[in-house]
This record gives sequence, C-alpha cells and structure tokens, in this order.
Amino acid sequence: MITLLSSLFFIVLTIGIYQIFVWVQAKFSAIWLNPMLFSIVAIVPVLLWQDINFEQYYDYTYTLSALLEPAVVALGFPLYQHLQTVKNHWKSYLAILSLGAIIVIIVSFIMTIAMVNLPELAVSLSYKSVTTPIGIALTDTNGGISSITAFAIIIAGLFGAILGPSWLQFIGVKSNSAIGLAIGAGSHALGTATITKYSFEQGAFSSLALIISAVMTAIIGPFLMTFLLSNITI
Amino acid sequence: MKKTFNDIFITCMAIALCLALGKLIFSMVGGLPASLYGMILLNIFLALGVFKPERLKGTITWCINNMGVCFVPAGVGIINYFDLVTKFGIEILFIICSTTLLLISLVGLLAEKYISNKDIKR
Repeated sequence: MITLLSSLFFIVLTIGIYQIFVWVQAKFSAIWLNPMLFSIVAIVPVLLWQDINFEQYYDYTYTLSALLEPAVVALGFPLYQHLQTVKNHWKSYLAILSLGAIIVIIVSFIMTIAMVNLPELAVSLSYKSVTTPIGIALTDTNGGISSITAFAIIIAGLFGAILGPSWLQFIGVKSNSAIGLAIGAGSHALGTATITKYSFEQGAFSSLALIISAVMTAIIGPFLMTFLLSNITI
Repeated sequence: MKKTFNDIFITCMAIALCLALGKLIFSMVGGLPASLYGMILLNIFLALGVFKPERLKGTITWCINNMGVCFVPAGVGIINYFDLVTKFGIEILFIICSTTLLLISLVGLLAEKYISNKDIKR
C-alpha cells in the first residue's frame, strides 16, 4: 500500500514538474528552456533532500520508464509518413545519413577513449545524435550509461538547434533541404522543433533526417559498437 | 467522441501487437532492441494497409508530443554519476559539441552537393 502510494506520488510529481516546464517553455518560447532537462535538474535536489536514492525513485516511477518501449514503436508512424515522401531519391538520403551516423559514432567513441578512457562513457556519448527513446535503448544494449546518454542527447540537441543554422550558413550550406537534413541528423527533435518555426520546408527535411538517422543508427550501431568495444582500447 | 475512443483503442492495440511481435523476434534472433523491431513492424503494417494511418494519426501525434516525460526518470539517474560528471564535465561537453558540429557540417555539405542540385533540376 505504501509502495503504491509512493509510486503514485512520484509519478504525479514527475509529470507535474514536467508540465510546469512545458508551460514555462511555451510562455517564454525559448528553446533552451527544455522541459526534460529542467525537470531532471528540479527532481535531483528533491531526491537528495528527502534522502531517496535513484534506485528507489526509478522503481516508484517505473510505469513511466516502461512506456519507453511503446514510445519507440510509435515512431514507426512518422517513419512511414516520411518514407512516402522520399520515394524518389531515397538512396542519396540513406547514403548520406548512414555515413553521418557511422562517422559520428566512430569519432565520438575514439575521442572519448582517447580523452577519458571509459568504455561505458564512450558508448553513452556515441549514441547522442539520435532521438531519446532510441538512444537510451541502444545504450542499454551496449552496456552504456543511459542517464548520461539522455543528458548528452539534450546537449547535442540544444547546441545544434541554437548554433547549427548560422554555422551552416557560414560554411556555405544554403538550400532548405541540406539545412534541414543536417540539423535533423545532428540535433534530432530539438533541432527540428527550432527550425520548423523559421521554415516549414527545413522542418520537414529535418524530421525526415531525424527518423532515418535513428533507424540507421539502430541497425548499424549495435554491431559497430561491439566491434569498437573489442578493438579500440588504450 | 465514440470514434475518438475507438481510434485510441485501436492505436494502443496496434502498438501492443507490434511490440509483442518485436519481443518475439528479439527472443528468436536477438540483435536490435525489441522495441526497434516493433517500430519497423508498425511501419511495414502501415505500408501494407493492415492499419489505417488516419485512425492512428491523432493518438500517435499526441504520444510523440508528450513522450518527453517518460525519459525524465532515466535522466535523473545522472544522480549516480556526479563524480564522473564533475571530473570529466569539460571533456564530455567538448566531445558532444565537437562531434555534433562535425555531423551537422558533414551532412549539410554532402546534402548541399548531392541532393539540393537534384531538387533544383526537377
């Protein structure tokens, strides 16, 4: 009974805090006021203050985490919608986005091993360019730290959403399709949400890239990561 | 109202079915996480016309818009890695930002060269 009540309490608390930050973000319409990031930052002190460890909190709110799996399945819908629109030159999209996914995993992994030399951290940082449910699922598959991945994904998203468009302008990328694909590949949903406000066409390409990159990373990632883990060591 | 309720029910059943089949495939062949097999199956069923996209659209859009809250508990797990973050915070931040910039530049330049020209010609 107490467990059930605590469970209910922490789920309502988590959703409540999240909704407050959704409201705050909508009110100030600022991309950096990310509801997920601020909810985590708000809940951590509550747990420390009440002397509740993470494992307890995770158990109490397990219902929310369990929804991660159906959430990934639901992404099959936008995948279906986008595959309809790119029937024409899907090979170029697939080739470019797969190449990007492979290179970012290899470079992130090697950089992390070279600078910090912690394999589980390297796994977590390598899966930061995809949308959160898939990044977390893949990190778990390869023995990484999913909470670090969750953070890294938000930071990658904010960084690309805020600086990406002007950087692309600077290096001479000007077409709507190229800007959209680049932001979607590097900054997933956060980047997509930001550029959709300025250009609907860029936003469409961005969500296309976000979903294709996630699928390609999911298909290639686990095998590539197993190879990297057994071959790249200092 | 009744139609909306039916659509929500059908969407939940569709997702549950894909996830169950995904778990079955995972138990037989392994490889990708079960939920990803489920995602690919949902896409295939939609393409084959087994599920009607217009009936799933509303519920799934709502789910995708609100799914962020489901990742909060996983993110709170950072509480167990405070020492790691305080020790290597700068390195972690540098790796995330530099590789994101690399990925955005790479995809942007390749797409500008190989895709946007085709768009213009069309």
